[in-house]
Amino acid sequence: MNRAVAPLPPTSQHTIGPFFPATFFRPGDNDLTRIAADAAPTTRGETLLLRGTITREGGEACVNMIVEAWQADAAGRFRHPRDPGWREADPDFCGWGRAATDAEGRYEFRTVRPGGYAEAGGQRAPHINLTVMGAGLMRRVTTTLYFPGEAANAQDAVLLLLPPERRGRLMAAAAGEAAGVKLLRFDIRLRGTPEEETPFFVE
Amino acid sequence: MEGFGAADRFDPWPKGLEPAVPVAGYPNTWTHTPAGAPFRRPATRTEATGPLELWRKLPCGDDNLAVAGPGRLAQGQLIRVSGRILDEAARPVAGAVVELWQANAAGRYLHPIDQRDAPLDPNFIGNGRVRTDAAGRYAFFTVKPGAYPVPVPATWWRPPHVHFSVLGPASLSRLVTQMYFPGDPLNAFDRILQSVPDEAARARLVARQLHPAEVGDGWLGFVHDIVLRGRHATPPA
Repeated sequence: MNRAVAPLPPTSQHTIGPFFPATFFRPGDNDLTRIAADAAPTTRGETLLLRGTITREGGEACVNMIVEAWQADAAGRFRHPRDPGWREADPDFCGWGRAATDAEGRYEFRTVRPGGYAEAGGQRAPHINLTVMGAGLMRRVTTTLYFPGEAANAQDAVLLLLPPERRGRLMAAAAGEAAGVKLLRFDIRLRGTPEEETPFFVE
Repeated sequence: MEGFGAADRFDPWPKGLEPAVPVAGYPNTWTHTPAGAPFRRPATRTEATGPLELWRKLPCGDDNLAVAGPGRLAQGQLIRVSGRILDEAARPVAGAVVELWQANAAGRYLHPIDQRDAPLDPNFIGNGRVRTDAAGRYAFFTVKPGAYPVPVPATWWRPPHVHFSVLGPASLSRLVTQMYFPGDPLNAFDRILQSVPDEAARARLVARQLHPAEVGDGWLGFVHDIVLRGRHATPPA
């Protein structure tokens, strides 16, 4: 142990509870394609609408769950110094968005199809990380959405950690178009049987 | 942007610091907590990065919950909650977005889901959002929240607490937590606070009250530092 400073233990997490203020949400918060509500959307990449539901034990809808999305830009870059290519990252793409589920447990994001990337740990296929918080979740849960039919899925360092029979649960489903934009569907099941539950990750 | 908390090391949560779930007496945890263990994965670039200029998307600066407008003071004990957002190497996290929300002095949230028969305060919305400065500091003026009963069959009471949501430099540093007040007898019986197994970790969720002589006669002062996951593998020389 050769550290200049003894590490501080991270602060424990708690549930976000049922009362996360509705006034924290503004139009466009769930739009990853804009840096700010009044900014123009990025012009790079294929625009997508991502829709899904969050359900709990028994398949019941989870109302007022907070969902946050994070992903690379259309070229697979992050505007963050941990990405060696961050200076070339799309300056108009936010990559982050937040949504709350409605009375039917539905959430929606607007984004672009992300690019994949390679790093020392292996290849990453195009993917979107989703984290879910809400009453009853003392720890936030995190999962990852993949794109069906993407050849790079076969080499994805994270997807390969799952037993083959669970990988399909992380594939979004093409669901046609809405207003000329490609629609994707990705449903998240919290507690359920091993077959029902969405695979979640921890790092 | 280079200096912005680009931690490159994320260790697993130390033992005893994460809440033990599901929680007895908190029924929703038994229907929502995934039954299967999560799959452990390395922190790839997606997890080690996050949005760095989130204040452009989430406007910040709303740091006074106690005053709704000229002459419109919220009911309750005026307090100032301040502290620093740090990483695991004790480095300040500049530019973090800090969101805070809480019940009013009567223990009621201004939220459609809170239908308890306790008064709302027309001068208290109960939430704010700020961005940390170069030293990782944040501060809010607010009033001390009241306790409230949890509407479950075997009722228990939440002690006065303040919710924090912190958006730091990486997905893995994302933190949602709660802050408690020192010396409140309800702290020992709170099923949420007590779900954190490690005693020292629970103690770190309790704010420190400043000596009133340091603060003056305007309000009571509480200090609460928050540590996000992540640090540099190689400390700066």
